[in-house]
Amino acid sequence: MNELIAVMVILPIASALFLNFLHEKDRTIKILAIVTAFVLPVLALIAPFGTHYFGGYVPLAQNMTIGQDLPALITNTQLFQFHPGIVYIFNSAQQLLIFVLCLIAFLAIFTSLNETKRPSGVYAFLMFMGTASISAILLSDDIFNLFVFFEIAALAQVGIIVASGIKNNYETALKYTLLGNIAGPLLLLGIALLLGLTGNVNITDIIYSLKHGLVNPYSPAILMALGLITFGWMYASGLPPFHTIKSAVYSKALPHGAALLQAFSVFSMVAIGIILLRMFSYIPFTKTAIIGISLLAMVLGITMAIVQTDFKRMLGFLAVGELGYIGIGLGLGTAFGITAGLFQAVNEAIITAFLFIGFGTVLYKTRTADTRKLGGMMFVNPRLALLVLLAGFAMAGVPPLNAFQSKLMLIQASLQSGLPELGIIMILLSIVTFMTFMKAFYTIYMRPKPADLKILDNKIPRSTIISMVVFLIICVILGLFPQLATNSLQTLAAGLV
Amino acid sequence: MIEYVLMITTVLGAIIALMQRDLLKAAILTGIPGISIAFLFQFLLAPDVALTQAIVGSAIVPVFFALAVLRTRREEETE
Amino acid sequence: MVIDSQLMSFFTAGSLIVIGIFAALFLDNLIKKIIGLAFLADGVNLFIITMGYKAGGIVYIFMPNMTISNFAQNASYPLPFALVLTSIVIGASTLAVMLGLVIVLNKRHGSLSASKILGDKGE
Repeated sequence: MNELIAVMVILPIASALFLNFLHEKDRTIKILAIVTAFVLPVLALIAPFGTHYFGGYVPLAQNMTIGQDLPALITNTQLFQFHPGIVYIFNSAQQLLIFVLCLIAFLAIFTSLNETKRPSGVYAFLMFMGTASISAILLSDDIFNLFVFFEIAALAQVGIIVASGIKNNYETALKYTLLGNIAGPLLLLGIALLLGLTGNVNITDIIYSLKHGLVNPYSPAILMALGLITFGWMYASGLPPFHTIKSAVYSKALPHGAALLQAFSVFSMVAIGIILLRMFSYIPFTKTAIIGISLLAMVLGITMAIVQTDFKRMLGFLAVGELGYIGIGLGLGTAFGITAGLFQAVNEAIITAFLFIGFGTVLYKTRTADTRKLGGMMFVNPRLALLVLLAGFAMAGVPPLNAFQSKLMLIQASLQSGLPELGIIMILLSIVTFMTFMKAFYTIYMRPKPADLKILDNKIPRSTIISMVVFLIICVILGLFPQLATNSLQTLAAGLV
Repeated sequence: MIEYVLMITTVLGAIIALMQRDLLKAAILTGIPGISIAFLFQFLLAPDVALTQAIVGSAIVPVFFALAVLRTRREEETE
Repeated sequence: MVIDSQLMSFFTAGSLIVIGIFAALFLDNLIKKIIGLAFLADGVNLFIITMGYKAGGIVYIFMPNMTISNFAQNASYPLPFALVLTSIVIGASTLAVMLGLVIVLNKRHGSLSASKILGDKGE
């Protein structure tokens, strides 16, 4: 069996639990956290593709020793094919997504261990727990397993907000958990309806039941389950009406925490979005709803970003707005569109993490995030300013950086699907994104330094700069050779149509 | 017949718990729906879940609420 | 029996869910909001358990004196019950996190009112 697939989830959880017990042993925490975080992306690259059955519970059809004595009542029906245990599926698309997630986690943990004065085992615990649960959501083919890790991810995110120590972070954390405790049980209710109708929590089996008429695929209960799971999806990824709380969450976390949190949102959006498409793509309303929600997220996120004076809040809204591009790719429903959406997800996770860590250096130097009080940072460290500028170019989709390729693919896909309006809206919003970014960049970096702005004398850790350079290198590589990513994603996208 | 009584206690207990002005009373009263649901689980042929729910719903959750109330304030504010 | 007890149980679960959502959205006191969320989680759990129930069936534990076919025809469906066990534990732990946050916030603001703590900051 492919034990390495399970190790991808078990290793971060185990090391998280272990780190939690280490206290006051700073060097041990640092070494252990960095080694584990480095192993995770490598693990995603070397693990063989395939399926992992937990506890070895393969479908009866594949296990002849049990299967041969059973009566025809079981062997002649689909019961013979159904999956009795939890199943994890790992293919090229999952490999790319988990690799990018674990790479962002590695760089965020690497940065945080060097930026904070004393490495905290508990903070690393939360980051690893979140990474493990999002990896599990990406891998899992079991919808209840997804719910369990959805809740763990929500708790880990709350922990990351609480650990930041920024003003008013407890209020945001409580608001986020209150909403999460409405969205969580409602998602569970949706799962329960599917379980009640099909008798299964395995997604492949649910799809079989829906497609082969074992249950009425248009029954009201199925439509209600679709609605409830969509609600959980909107909460997990911060689509409207959760865009304000999600951007507040980003702004109340430390920069490296925010870099990781937005990666969590992006990848849970992709994972649950894929599941929604896999199960419900036969209902025509699904794709329309996904496109509608995404358009709303794009318009609301980007227009609300313009008026923010706190640059972390601005980045938070921009991150939510960029989610809309992914959603449009998924909602178009063609293989090319879904590939473009997934590629955009990969790019966005990298670029937004890059921007959060990049602007984090401003916070590190001045201890303020208010753009009205900032200025003249260009002359403090011109090279860092250049890196941040390149990150902004990447987000707006300037060639030859990676988001250019994915946004071009998205526009082509919308033209192919006969929806040129979407392409026009995407281009317009890209311009607005660029304008918003340039406005913030000008006020923070280029205008003369306000007299009362104090720049601290602390040196920016080398690890932060290394992380940013790594992000830039990935942006350029994916921009020049987009087929590196799209080739891995095509199989999954073709399977969804 | 006993199950209908349990169902009515569950719903009424939930409403009464939420109507209390004294938060400590509300916290203790959350145990009533908790324990009625535990008995309902037993009636619905789920004895192991009933056992868990009896401990969590009727002891741990009310105690959590009571501790939180004792560490904050007892009376609900009126504007 | 005139009224189906499984149907009534679904209604009980539904009313718990409605009461929970109502309390979480419209009551001002934070402790009351969290009590409402606990009822919401209880309601969903009851819903799942009711789904697995089989009228006139037996408990899904295989005793030595049963035959397989008899067991398979009469036992209630055990998968929902396994899920609910996990769900109860998750509910209790998120509850503890929320109450911890409320205790800290009460210390800072001297209040338990949601409109005072969470409102009027535009966040």
